[in-house]
Amino acid sequence: MSLSPQEVQKQVLTYLETTECSIIEKSPYHVTVKLSPQADKQLTNRPYYWGFIERTGAEPETLSYTFVFDPDQYNEQTAKTPPPSAPPQPQDSILSRYFGVNPAGPRIGPGRIPREDVTYGSSRLQQIWAVARQEGSCVYLFEQPGPLQRETLFSAPYEPWLGVCFKVEMTCDVKKEALHFIGISLVTGQIDPQFARRLETLQLGPRLPENIHIQPGSLSLAGAANLLEKHMKDHLAGEDYAWAEAARERLREELAVIDMYYEDLLKETEEEKLTAIREQYDNRRSEMTWQYEPKVNLSAITCGLFHLRSIRL
Amino acid sequence: MKTSHLGSGAQAGDLPVPLNIDRSWLDNLESRLDKGGPWGDFRLFQLAVQGEEARLVTSFDELQCVKHLQDLSPLPHQIDTARRVLFEMSGRAILADEVGLGKTIEAGLILKEYMVRGLVSKVLILVPASLVLQWVRELNSKFGIPAVAQKKAYSWHSDVVVASMDTAKREPHKDMLMEQEYDMLIIDEAHKLKNKKTTNYQFIQKLRKKYCLLLTATPVQNDMSELFNLITLLKPGQLGRQGDFAANFVVGKRQAKNEDQLRDELAKVMIRNRRGEGPVQFTKRTVRNVSLQLSPEEQALYDGVTSFVKNQYKASGGNLSSMLSLVTLQREVCSSRDAVFLTLVNLSKKIPDDSPLTAEVWELVNAIRNIKANTKAEKTIELIKDMNEKVIVFTEYRATQEYLLQYFQKHGLSCVPYRGGMNRGKKDWMMDLFRGRAQVMIATEAGGEGINLQFCHHMINFDLPWNPMRVEQRIGRVHRLGQQNDVKIYNLSTTGTIEEHILNLLHEKINMFETVIGGLDVILERFEKQESFEKSLYKLFLESESDEEIRSKVSSLGQSLDLIKREIEYEDAETVIEEEA
Repeated sequence: MSLSPQEVQKQVLTYLETTECSIIEKSPYHVTVKLSPQADKQLTNRPYYWGFIERTGAEPETLSYTFVFDPDQYNEQTAKTPPPSAPPQPQDSILSRYFGVNPAGPRIGPGRIPREDVTYGSSRLQQIWAVARQEGSCVYLFEQPGPLQRETLFSAPYEPWLGVCFKVEMTCDVKKEALHFIGISLVTGQIDPQFARRLETLQLGPRLPENIHIQPGSLSLAGAANLLEKHMKDHLAGEDYAWAEAARERLREELAVIDMYYEDLLKETEEEKLTAIREQYDNRRSEMTWQYEPKVNLSAITCGLFHLRSIRL
Repeated sequence: MKTSHLGSGAQAGDLPVPLNIDRSWLDNLESRLDKGGPWGDFRLFQLAVQGEEARLVTSFDELQCVKHLQDLSPLPHQIDTARRVLFEMSGRAILADEVGLGKTIEAGLILKEYMVRGLVSKVLILVPASLVLQWVRELNSKFGIPAVAQKKAYSWHSDVVVASMDTAKREPHKDMLMEQEYDMLIIDEAHKLKNKKTTNYQFIQKLRKKYCLLLTATPVQNDMSELFNLITLLKPGQLGRQGDFAANFVVGKRQAKNEDQLRDELAKVMIRNRRGEGPVQFTKRTVRNVSLQLSPEEQALYDGVTSFVKNQYKASGGNLSSMLSLVTLQREVCSSRDAVFLTLVNLSKKIPDDSPLTAEVWELVNAIRNIKANTKAEKTIELIKDMNEKVIVFTEYRATQEYLLQYFQKHGLSCVPYRGGMNRGKKDWMMDLFRGRAQVMIATEAGGEGINLQFCHHMINFDLPWNPMRVEQRIGRVHRLGQQNDVKIYNLSTTGTIEEHILNLLHEKINMFETVIGGLDVILERFEKQESFEKSLYKLFLESESDEEIRSKVSSLGQSLDLIKREIEYEDAETVIEEEA
């Protein structure tokens, strides 16, 4: 999967808005932005600067960037509208006779806004994803009810759900991955394998809405986690493992080749040499196993507790 | 991090492979519940998931890396190579493209692919010292791989480190590297690892590595067993045991048997793209041989040196190995008097004072004194002023290089030197100077390896190496992927000297300057089944009595090369027919 410039732009803007950066200029191809202190700390890798600001209490000066999402289009656009040229410099002022003429080069120093191309595969986008994962890994949210709920007589029952976005990595000498965003109700133990789709339709916020009550859970968090893992395991057991068998077959072949190669060498009679050869042999075998041995990794990208309006009444 | 490892058999109906479950997320969630936060923003939560989705590797066997690259469009043969290394060779391969086809790009693609897939994070790249910065630059700018050059001991802790082999194998570095586990090891100029007994070889053998790439343009230089050693480093046993290999594939030192079978076995670990093949288009080469007449003084020195060398050869009873410095003398005399002078001085230091040789040597030195001008250098200046563009001048000798530098500067040409002995920083600086300011670069052979000069399309061979592969390497610096113009090659040769014969052989007989001969190495390999090419030449010159004799011997040498060339062409045609049938 790859992302179009528009999709990249949408994701970057999401980040910039969430971190409350101030957007100076925007086109379909680029955005010029002054970072908020939060975003500056997360993106610019200036720990000493921020350490200085925090210790001295000085007013922070955050950096600005022009992020270009579609370099070709942007270049075309900027070529059509050349930047206003600098005012002609007096070439023969008295001062310049003494100090020389300072040529009007590109602006550097404070106030200069560096340009950066942000496309799929760029390190900036990777960094923003990494920050998002770090900052957004754990959430605690409530479904926001419509305006009618506040006025109704009865408080609405809410059901807590544990939602986890699992990542499955099937690894041998090559690799395949899959994401499973699933949820489990802490009240009923019901598992929703399409939890992400359910969340898409809802308004979610961090604040507890008025006039609702949360049903007590019958499942502990750890118990729910176990059930989710079991669900994943059952799902994984149903997958096709031909790839693993093929990898084991490759491993067997490689090991057989190595065994054959070392067979004679291991008949070495000199003790010292034999030890060296045996060590080499063992290393080679363990390298091969490391390279080919199939395994499955299950980890979570993000997780959270979602309090959703109970559908059952 | 808390992980629960469920081995097989923990539950009935379990997975057929070990499953690792990372539960750190639950700890994280519980501890935040205890403390009442902090909770993340839902938009960032979603962005994190979208990010994962966007770079998810959904297929075992589809190349991902290309869409991650912004400023690079790899050529079809490079992508194909990357695909084969990943999916057919499981990440252990020898990349043996001919010079100028972009082995570095291929290695970068493979590395990037493994990194995108999350199969590789810790990487060690060992290259000749002169190429360290170039590798770092290319990986960073073309592939967005954050590689660092090894400078201090702590650099080894970086994820992707580029270092020189010589540094890496020394203490204290060696011990540190031995403790590491490398997901990927890449070695450039890997033909230097041909000898099992060297410390380099043993060092690489001991390093713990998962995937491994060996890059070399000349997988077989002298000896079949070198190839065996190289492959043993990668996959011991791929060509059988040492004894099997010798019995199955080797006839003479340089001669293989069961070649088809050997080729099949090699194809499992080695990829060799050739210049003549595929859709890769190179610009043309045009050659001009510039014939010069030596001045009487220069001719006197040439004759003096020639007869001195021949007399010594006769006196030694035809023993070639003791003659190497004298043969050098014979070659240097075609380059510049400065080069000859240095060798003569060194020679005179070695012989005892009372030897009759001393007088002969001093006579030659006197002949040098009489030379006031260098015919070749004068011609070179003339050529450079005519073309009025950037040009690289190659010479074999350091002394000639020094002389030319001075001489050119005196005549108002801006020029920079380039040689193997310079440190990395200086080499890079010289390249930048040449690109930016200087008109001329004067390079010695040692500087030939790994410099890319696509921005220059004129090249002067001030003197010629006697090894055709080295000539090809020189041309390859300029005539490579990315060259926009036709490449103009000027060969200087002086009439009535051995140079004339060498040039005749390389140009007329092998036609090596004009056509890109893909199979030059193959031709040489076959020729050298009996004796190395350079040695045959030495002998030929030392043993011939007259110019006529040299001429006829050179021409028969040329014929045998031509024969081999046709043989190979015929075989290739045959295989094509077989494949089509």
